[in-house]
Amino acid sequence: MNCEHAKEQLLDYLNHELPEAERPLVAAHLEECTECREELLALQRVWGTMSAIPVPEPSENVRPAFYAMLSAYKEETQAKPSSWAAVWQWLQAVFTPQQALRLAYSLALVGVGVAVGFWLNKQPAQTADNQQLATLTKQVADMRQVMLLSLIDNPSATERLRAVSYTKELNNANPRVVEALLSTLNHDENVNVRLATLEALAQLAHEPAVRQGLVQSLAKQESPLVQSALADVMVQLQEKRSVKPLRRLLNDPALNEAVRGKIKESIQSLSNGQAAPSTSNKPYDETFHPTPSDGAAGTAV
Amino acid sequence: MLRVKAGDVDRMGLLFERYHRKLFGFLYHMLGQAEASEDLVQTVFYRMLKYRHTYTGEGEFRTWMYHLARNVLADHVKKNRHSVRHTDVAEWSEKIGGGAGADEKLQREQEVATLHRALAHLSEDYREVLVLSRFQELKYEEIARVLNTTEGAVKVRVHRAMNELKTIYLRIEN
Repeated sequence: MNCEHAKEQLLDYLNHELPEAERPLVAAHLEECTECREELLALQRVWGTMSAIPVPEPSENVRPAFYAMLSAYKEETQAKPSSWAAVWQWLQAVFTPQQALRLAYSLALVGVGVAVGFWLNKQPAQTADNQQLATLTKQVADMRQVMLLSLIDNPSATERLRAVSYTKELNNANPRVVEALLSTLNHDENVNVRLATLEALAQLAHEPAVRQGLVQSLAKQESPLVQSALADVMVQLQEKRSVKPLRRLLNDPALNEAVRGKIKESIQSLSNGQAAPSTSNKPYDETFHPTPSDGAAGTAV
Repeated sequence: MLRVKAGDVDRMGLLFERYHRKLFGFLYHMLGQAEASEDLVQTVFYRMLKYRHTYTGEGEFRTWMYHLARNVLADHVKKNRHSVRHTDVAEWSEKIGGGAGADEKLQREQEVATLHRALAHLSEDYREVLVLSRFQELKYEEIARVLNTTEGAVKVRVHRAMNELKTIYLRIEN
């Protein structure tokens, strides 16, 4: 037997796992080989020390706990509990910490399952609802626009006012609606309707077409009320393009005196948006008799 | 156990008296925690009752017992993956490690403590075969049945485990 083979057998030799026939062979090799003897000693030291590793005795609780478990198990599997005492005993057995833990674990699992189920169920329904809501909202908005278009030509001023009021809830109006509103603003015979329309259009002023229409409308208004309201809107929007038509209005000898003052104020505040405040007062007196160059200066400044 | 299986549940007491120490030892070596090991002893015996119909009578009872114990252990480890293992060993070896005397008895105790720690550092698979072989005194053939493998495979694993243990032991010692 060579050393390599013997070394492989040493542990089994120690462990009594070696077949009886091979034991003498290993023993014989050990007799003549110091190296293997040392190896065996080293192995024996570890192997022997292992048995000295202390294992604590199981505590005294283990035995009674086992017998309690055993009798509980018997109660559980044999006859149905016949008395309250048995039920109580069974309950006690079921609610040992470990069982309670298991129970809690199961309940938690069920809870998680239910929660996940709810969540999964709710998710698509919610989005479907949202989609439905979105389409409905859009439909209502479309409906309002159609209503507006059909009512705005109504002979009754009240109906036309109502039509204009529909735009209040609109964030975006389609071009036809804008056109209809502008045309109402310019041509409606009723001042109240025109004022309401102006109010509605002011809300939609973020659209370039609306702004443009409002500026152009300045020249077409004759009612002092609408004129001054328009001037207000122009100031509110800081619409510089309106300065020219406003000045043109000042040239109109038929202009209401109150409106004239109002328009002057508006031009001033529109120019102030860009011009330095100190110079703003003076040019005014001159702009009242405008020349082309002055007008250009007014808008450019 | 066959009589237990036949319905004589009281016989389980006998098996408990005979085996619970060994079982506790196995669990203790695998877990390193005495208290948890006691709980698991309970669980293993409970499963024996509950699954007694799976005991075929072939092979020894203790092979079946260790088989169940391994499953219980695996469940326990899964559940407590984050808890610190081998706390008891650490505490215990600290107490021993404090002494500075060159007393022979103390030195021997140090040696044992070091080996205990080395064993705790061994991988689960290796520790398992060593515990079954050395502490539970199972034959390779029985271990093979517990682990559902061949005797040859067990033999190889025990050898490798021993080498690994020696290496760890020497590393800790120095």
